[in-house]
Amino acid sequence: MVQSEESLRPLYRLMVGSGVVGVLILALGLATILKFAPPGQASGLKARIVGVYPYDPATHRVTGPASTHFPRTQPFAAKVDWSALPGGVVVGARWYNTLDEPVGGVGPATAASLAATGALVPVMTPPGLHANLPGNYTLAVTRYSRGQPVELLGREVVLVERSG
Amino acid sequence: MEAAYPRRWRPSRYGIAALLGGAVLLVATASSILSFLVRQVPARASLFGLPAVVLMVAGTYYGVRVLREHEEAHRRRDRVRAFFLLGAGMLLWLLVLDLFTFTQAAGPRVALLCALACLPTTAFGLFVIRRLDRNEKEPWRLVLIATAWGAIVSTSLVVWGESLWDAIAVRTLVPGPALDASIAYSAGIFEETSKGVAVLLLYLVMRDEFDDVVDGILYGAAVGLGFNFMESITYMTHLYAIFQPEGQGLDAAAAQWYSRQVLGLFFGHATYTALIGAGVGIARQLPRLRDRLVCIFCGFLIAIAAHFAWDAWVQFFPISQSAFGLVEIHLRTLFMEGPFTALVLLLLAMGLRVEGSALVRQLRAEAQSGTGTVEPEEVAVLASPWRRFRSRLRALGQSGLRAYLRLARLQRAQLDLAMERWHRERNEIDAPLEAEDLLRKRVLALRAAAT
Repeated sequence: MVQSEESLRPLYRLMVGSGVVGVLILALGLATILKFAPPGQASGLKARIVGVYPYDPATHRVTGPASTHFPRTQPFAAKVDWSALPGGVVVGARWYNTLDEPVGGVGPATAASLAATGALVPVMTPPGLHANLPGNYTLAVTRYSRGQPVELLGREVVLVERSG
Repeated sequence: MEAAYPRRWRPSRYGIAALLGGAVLLVATASSILSFLVRQVPARASLFGLPAVVLMVAGTYYGVRVLREHEEAHRRRDRVRAFFLLGAGMLLWLLVLDLFTFTQAAGPRVALLCALACLPTTAFGLFVIRRLDRNEKEPWRLVLIATAWGAIVSTSLVVWGESLWDAIAVRTLVPGPALDASIAYSAGIFEETSKGVAVLLLYLVMRDEFDDVVDGILYGAAVGLGFNFMESITYMTHLYAIFQPEGQGLDAAAAQWYSRQVLGLFFGHATYTALIGAGVGIARQLPRLRDRLVCIFCGFLIAIAAHFAWDAWVQFFPISQSAFGLVEIHLRTLFMEGPFTALVLLLLAMGLRVEGSALVRQLRAEAQSGTGTVEPEEVAVLASPWRRFRSRLRALGQSGLRAYLRLARLQRAQLDLAMERWHRERNEIDAPLEAEDLLRKRVLALRAAAT
């Protein structure tokens, strides 16, 4: 039997109340995932990423063979086989640098329109920088529904080397 | 000898502590083996990290023994062992961190400079949180052990869990808020659990030095500051390596230092783990097992949620490129982390109030008992940190530094005795009644030396 005069009940209640707030916050997080990645969106489609190539921004064409490593000063772009996807599907592709910042992309547009123009997905050097930042660059090809990306159709990672 | 807490299953907490410690080692071992099988995360970090973790655990074991041992010769031997084992563990881990992981690109010199930059701020943080424990300050050794666990053991435990979770998330979720939320769950759950284990171990093993919610907050914040120290070095060197080719490496590292070691020193990891510590600290004084478990669980929940909220939703508060951006960074931290830090401060204030009033009551009772350990006129002085300090200053002015230190030891022993009485009154200790008498004898001996 505890005989102390000091009650710990207010502290206990505050802690339990905090736990309830914690549950609400975590539930809100789950709602965020459900909103931006709604379940039941799996179409079974896969985007074929042909490769990542050195890129000439002046001519908007790829040059040379595909690679997974690039010097910092070498612009590069991904080639996606848009024609392999159903023409009416709305898709897009984005590059993310090592800091997870978007650094270039195409779409969203129908796969047919992207296939018709042979759309490449080039990486854009952010303003204020002389060349691409070193580190891993991730390409994400996604399917859109009602204006928001809902399904990951393909993914590719290349490395931008520190030297060069 | 009669125990004040006469439940026969009492020592089971040592068993739970051993289980937790074993689980930590198992996770670290599994992490090391997995690193060889699947080269997804920095494999060498786990390979060399495992011996570092073992050294840290062994060092902690001897460090704890120092605090519990009564024989001076044994204390000295264990102190030396703990010192060397902890030192070796820290050096090995720094070697791992500096040479083989993120700092590989930045180089050991940059890593060392980053560590040196983070040392004074982390030390300041530890000094401040220890000062907040106004009535009965915890031993520096234990505070530093908590910090070292946060910096070395906790950081190494999360590597695989987070890497695996994140690897699955990026392959299944589209980039954007959903992926950010998933990765935030990973950071919140793994990092808070790995830090919380350190607080739980302290609660289970060092019950004598883990009195209440105030101590829980202190130890939790110390673990968080240790974690924040190591994470700051990692991010500073990582961003230095990324921006250095553009000639902006120093700026990037400095911005990280300010964000994590100045602006976020008390707001981030220190706050999250302090919330876990608060839950454990309140549980320390609850009589029913169910209430204790609920309290500890709620502490973990709110800590994970606080960490999650920052990581997942910080993107909704972008910082503009204008000069006002500097103000926005501070406002964002205050708005997003402030409520959780305010909660810690509220718990601390309530805890100090409960602790303060209990100590005053116990000091009065001790003074009335006529044992001579506490004189009636000393009660008011002992109850106030400021008046205690002034009385020590008086001793310093009258008889020099040794008198100051002797009086400080006497006051500490008197408060220890009052705290012991409080715990015994609440049936919260498992030490026999003789332990209290030993404290009385110690106070009387210190009083004799002081006069």
